[in-house]
Amino acid sequence: MVTATCPPACSPPERAFPRLQRVVRHALACALLSVLASTSAARELTLEVEQLVHPSFVARDLRLTLDAGNEAASVRIGTLDVAGRRLRGLRLDCPAFHLTEETLSCRGGRLHAPGLPAGAALSLAADPQQRTGTLRLTLAAGETVALEALAGGRLRADFRGLDAARLRGLLPQLAEWQPAGRLNGYAEYTPADGGQGSLALALKAGGFATADGLHAAEGVGATMAASARKRAGGWDWQADLKWSAGEAYFHPLYLVAGSRLQAAGQLVGERLSVTQATLQTEGVRTIAAAGEYDLAAGVLRAAGLTVADADLAVVGPQYLAPLLTPAQAERLRFAGHASGGLRIEEGRVVGIDAGFDEAGFSLAGGELSFGPLSGSLLWRADSLTEAMLTVAGGRWEKLALGSFELAARLHGTQVEIPRLRIPLLDGALVFDKLELRRGEEGWSGAGSLVVEPLSVPLLTAALGLPEMAGVLSAALPGLRVSPGEIVLDGTLVVSVFDGYLQVTELRLLEPFGVAAYLYADIDARHIDLAQLTDTFSFGSVTGYVDASVGGLELVRWRPVRFDARVRSSPGSYPRRISQRAVQNISALGGAGAVAAIQRSMLGFFESFGYREIGLSCVLADGICLMGGLADGSPAGGFALVRGGGIPALNVIGYNRRVDWQELIDRLQRVIESNAPPVVR
Amino acid sequence: MNHAARRFRLWLAALLLGLAGLAAAQGNLEINTPAISALRQSMQQRHAQLAPLYASGAVGLARDGTVALRDASRVPLAQRAQANTLIAAENADRAALYREIARANGHPEWEADVRATFAQRWIDRAQKGWWVQGGGGWVQK
Repeated sequence: MVTATCPPACSPPERAFPRLQRVVRHALACALLSVLASTSAARELTLEVEQLVHPSFVARDLRLTLDAGNEAASVRIGTLDVAGRRLRGLRLDCPAFHLTEETLSCRGGRLHAPGLPAGAALSLAADPQQRTGTLRLTLAAGETVALEALAGGRLRADFRGLDAARLRGLLPQLAEWQPAGRLNGYAEYTPADGGQGSLALALKAGGFATADGLHAAEGVGATMAASARKRAGGWDWQADLKWSAGEAYFHPLYLVAGSRLQAAGQLVGERLSVTQATLQTEGVRTIAAAGEYDLAAGVLRAAGLTVADADLAVVGPQYLAPLLTPAQAERLRFAGHASGGLRIEEGRVVGIDAGFDEAGFSLAGGELSFGPLSGSLLWRADSLTEAMLTVAGGRWEKLALGSFELAARLHGTQVEIPRLRIPLLDGALVFDKLELRRGEEGWSGAGSLVVEPLSVPLLTAALGLPEMAGVLSAALPGLRVSPGEIVLDGTLVVSVFDGYLQVTELRLLEPFGVAAYLYADIDARHIDLAQLTDTFSFGSVTGYVDASVGGLELVRWRPVRFDARVRSSPGSYPRRISQRAVQNISALGGAGAVAAIQRSMLGFFESFGYREIGLSCVLADGICLMGGLADGSPAGGFALVRGGGIPALNVIGYNRRVDWQELIDRLQRVIESNAPPVVR
Repeated sequence: MNHAARRFRLWLAALLLGLAGLAAAQGNLEINTPAISALRQSMQQRHAQLAPLYASGAVGLARDGTVALRDASRVPLAQRAQANTLIAAENADRAALYREIARANGHPEWEADVRATFAQRWIDRAQKGWWVQGGGGWVQK
């Protein structure tokens, strides 16, 4: 047995070919000399080479064993560095090995390498003098790789049915993505013109999945064509990727096939630059991008993205809602078009430009909508910018908003709106010095709100209420916004029914949640009962009342809690109550309320005099705890109307606990039916 | 008494004090307001959709009183975005619930305590097989 150990061969890659030849020649000469020097007829020859350098690979700890008697050979390679990856423990066993000056061949060979099935079938036919040859690997039935060394130093690899999972062995960083699918295609390299390569791949039934499931794809069909040309210091490359089948999830976005990406750029060292990339996808005319990615650090050093003419009805639900407001994603609706740009530096978003063209946003159910709106919005992470939007209209619950312009100053996470006037009916909501800041929990800030006078007739018509006369206005200088709460310190005044309502302590809680509710205190003065009862077809009552509604809470505009007291206004004025109104009041009081007059007498008079009206209701947990006038109430009952004049009558209630919903139902029946209630 | 024992007693005392403080807040954890009812109703309606996600382990109950997507791979690909929307909506309701309970108690500043107490309560009440987040990470009950 002969062992030849040759010194290591170190050479820069660009001069490696001549060096490689010298090294191999040197090694073979060493081995041959060793064989010749042996005394007996040697049947086995072992050649050990510490390092073998080629422009495409470096092999270390290489051991070649030739069995001359059996024409067999085996090669073991300790480490093989190829394309920036290191493979360890490669072994090739070749039972039919043939080596002459013109031929190097291996038939029925078996290759053992990381990521390959144990003992992949291998055949090799090469011409050492021409430095050409073909290596065929059959990894499994229908899964082959053919590597060819062609004249002029060209190298080519053809893949047929290659299992994408095997790429994990070659590219460990792919391991966590668990690639799957079958690859067909080729890769080619030629040293001509300084070096150039091309790649064409088709993936079928492809996919990937990270362990946490946040990035995954299934049933992917895609093709990729790419080419690269070497130039001083790096590579110029271009690629065309078509995604034709399958689905993918990139948290939190769900994507389906039908996109095409074309890109070109350079690769210099570990820096991958994209000089131009365009993406064609449904709903957007074009998406273009450019950027630089640091492969070593895994950081996007700089990137720019522009989106032209995006159809918001398509991209809104698919991209915007999941990214911006996932909790409302199911309810948000989009319309119109938008264009925009995004600038990233050192992995951080530093600039956003957005332009809107007839864009519309609304919440399903119609409680809030804006649009169509047009205009532009600029945002920079570290400088002051402006947004200018023209909004053609909107809707808040049943109220239509007029067109308005929104001019805002943006600075980091802060938004300043010096003045915003939103027309509403014949008045307007005017916000002044609104300063908001976005934090982790949501928006917070302060400003002021003035409601320019609105006609109550228009307001009641818009809300579907019986028409009332009057004017609504408000001065709310203490507008404060915090996550889950909008506080409106100030006063809202509605002049109505010859008197006025004054609303204070206005607070809107969880305005965009399921439990949105409004809190307020209301004081009413000198409400003309004649107008009020006439408006609601309740019979006729002349006189005035004052009212206070403390701690009013409205959930979805329905009162759920308050402490209300109504009492005749002080002063001298005619006080009459019609027979019909008495009947209605009695009916509202349910079985417990009675008119303290002979029922047979009731029909004789059209109206009655009264001295005072008093009513209280403390609503909580769906129950209205009723009360009446403090004085003049009989034992066990409470006076709602205390009679006076001729003919006089008292209305007494006995049932203090009244179901609120039942009361509302009765009131609605009385108003809607306009039919005389039954007095029992 | 050795150092470790002293430290243990100190921790125990701190824990008991903490619990005492919590008990004061807990007294009204069951408080009901129309907003709380609306939130609970909304969460109950959503629960029918979330329960299979808890059972499959896709969604777990986190330490901070939210629900979290802990293993999206257990949800069919086409339904992952919807699962994410459900989680976001549930967390928005939960945040509103904690705020509202603190507010209804007249102590908005209790929100963090309410959240912590509820977080533990959700975890304690989780069904067998569901995933909950403990000090050492996710565990299956």
